[in-house]
Amino acid sequence: MARLIKLLQNYGIVAGFIIFCVYLSIATQGKFSKAENLLDVANQISINAIIATGMTFVILTAGIDLSVGSILGFAGVVAALMLKKHGVAACFLAGVGIGAFLGAFNGTVITKLKISPFITTLAMMTMARGFAWLTAPEGYISDFPQKFLNIAEGSLAFSIPNLAVFMLLVVALAHLLLTKTAFGRHVYSTGGNEEATYLSGVNVHRVKLFVYMISGLLAGLSGVLLAARLGSGDPKSGEMYELNAIASVVLGGTSLMGGVGSVLGTFFGAIVIGVLNNGLLLLNVSTYHQWIIKGVVILFAVLLDQMKKR
Amino acid sequence: MKRFTTGVFAMMFALLLSASAFAAKQKVIGVSLLTRQHQFYKDMESALQSSAKKNNIKLIVQSGEFDLSTQMPQLESFIVQKVDAIVVCPTNSKGIGPAVKKANKAGIPVFTADIAFEGEGVVAHIASNNVLGGNDAGEYMAKLLKGKGKVIIIEHPTVKSATDRVKGFENTLKKYPGIKIVGKVSSDGQRDKAMTAMENMLQAHPDLTGVFAINDDSALGALRAIEVAKKKGIVIVGYDATEEAQKAIMRGSALKADVIQYPKKIGEKTIEAIVKFWKGQKPPKFVPVEVGIVDKPWLDKVHKLIKK
Repeated sequence: MARLIKLLQNYGIVAGFIIFCVYLSIATQGKFSKAENLLDVANQISINAIIATGMTFVILTAGIDLSVGSILGFAGVVAALMLKKHGVAACFLAGVGIGAFLGAFNGTVITKLKISPFITTLAMMTMARGFAWLTAPEGYISDFPQKFLNIAEGSLAFSIPNLAVFMLLVVALAHLLLTKTAFGRHVYSTGGNEEATYLSGVNVHRVKLFVYMISGLLAGLSGVLLAARLGSGDPKSGEMYELNAIASVVLGGTSLMGGVGSVLGTFFGAIVIGVLNNGLLLLNVSTYHQWIIKGVVILFAVLLDQMKKR
Repeated sequence: MKRFTTGVFAMMFALLLSASAFAAKQKVIGVSLLTRQHQFYKDMESALQSSAKKNNIKLIVQSGEFDLSTQMPQLESFIVQKVDAIVVCPTNSKGIGPAVKKANKAGIPVFTADIAFEGEGVVAHIASNNVLGGNDAGEYMAKLLKGKGKVIIIEHPTVKSATDRVKGFENTLKKYPGIKIVGKVSSDGQRDKAMTAMENMLQAHPDLTGVFAINDDSALGALRAIEVAKKKGIVIVGYDATEEAQKAIMRGSALKADVIQYPKKIGEKTIEAIVKFWKGQKPPKFVPVEVGIVDKPWLDKVHKLIKK
């Protein structure tokens, strides 16, 4: 019995998720499990998964990044402008560059000026949104060349959508960075015990600077990818994305206190949110009920996770 | 002595103010817009200005920019200036309550334009008739589908103007038993959410033939999903007729038509209602402003006229 409970605590979320998927396949008469639909879901979760991957680094150091949605919006419109003037390569460079720069700005303010991550990134959230509107005051930039749109429409291999390929690459690289490098170990130890990490000779400030830069960079990349997906750069885009990203990280078992968690867990969290979104729509659940169900799922998942750790 | 001097100065100043007010005898309206950034509001403001000029009214125009804490001081300053009427496009349908109460206490009539105030104390609300707009969209959809098909609605259930549009659309489609509404999904009026919702709806209803979207961001998100999936035989009717949506209609995409609002007419009718009120007539609580339909034939005609 005790073993059963232990098993349930360890794999409860995964088991619940699998049961939900089986239920969805039956309840939607196979519409859910059709390859076409699953590939759609892969496409839909890509952007959130990429942002959430960056967020995982930040949360592992016991920080938070509320500015990712706004950085995405700003990077997206700048990328759209660059695309129309200088082509696809410049567009990617600009989007990713702006993201990384604003992320590094966050990191610098947090480490040098000792302002809390919550406040710093909250300020960046409103500033980047303002810059986005200044860049595209008409509200949108569209009429992109097909070559750029193909990034989101096409598929290079096995009919896996390109956005999902980006996501898998980002997740894989981030996983390697966290588990196989000294930097990765420093991220965990900074979040676990900053003082001890500092005393053992690690440049904690640099670690933090890098995690915010990674988060910003991935938000910038997401801005470019979202522009390709929607076929337009829009200063409104990315609103509330930070909350979805944080929910994915937490669903994936990363502790908001830092030091514990993984990118693969976050990836799983993003899948859960995406499948929930897709499944509830396929089941014709009304909007308000969807909100309630999503909230309950997040609470339950985190509760199970905490029980595991106790 | 010092207090006496300040008192004299204050009295002189007050006299001067009231004298200038008498001398002008021009009525003043304080306007607090939702924003000055959107084309819709730019058009509305220019109509307010020109109508006011025609009636020899002075306008003080400010903008809340979607922020209640910006709008409230604007309304309070109108009350302090003792304007003859206030026009407000609430940044928050309930939040402006205290300012409305204060204005009423000071005897200043309050009018709302475009966005309604949820509460008592407003003389009249002047806005597009969203239910009628929904009706028009429904009629157009029925015409496009020749009275037969499966339709979904992309809604925004927390916004009154959007739910009115949906209500009008659904009511009209009741007349066409061949058309079935098979689903309602929320986009929160945002393009990315509309696109994701549309993708999911294409999976849920492979035989879908029509989409009604409550605004153009939703319509364009749905259009993008349909085009990426290379689905044929689905038509979209949108709302607002933004420039981007008009382009999509012009190039012959799945977006076939849009309901268009006339912000200039809202501005004109607002001034009209206020002038009537000053003359002692009581305008109706809701002054509806008509809406229209924009489709490819209509746009082609307009563009031809412009070219000439």
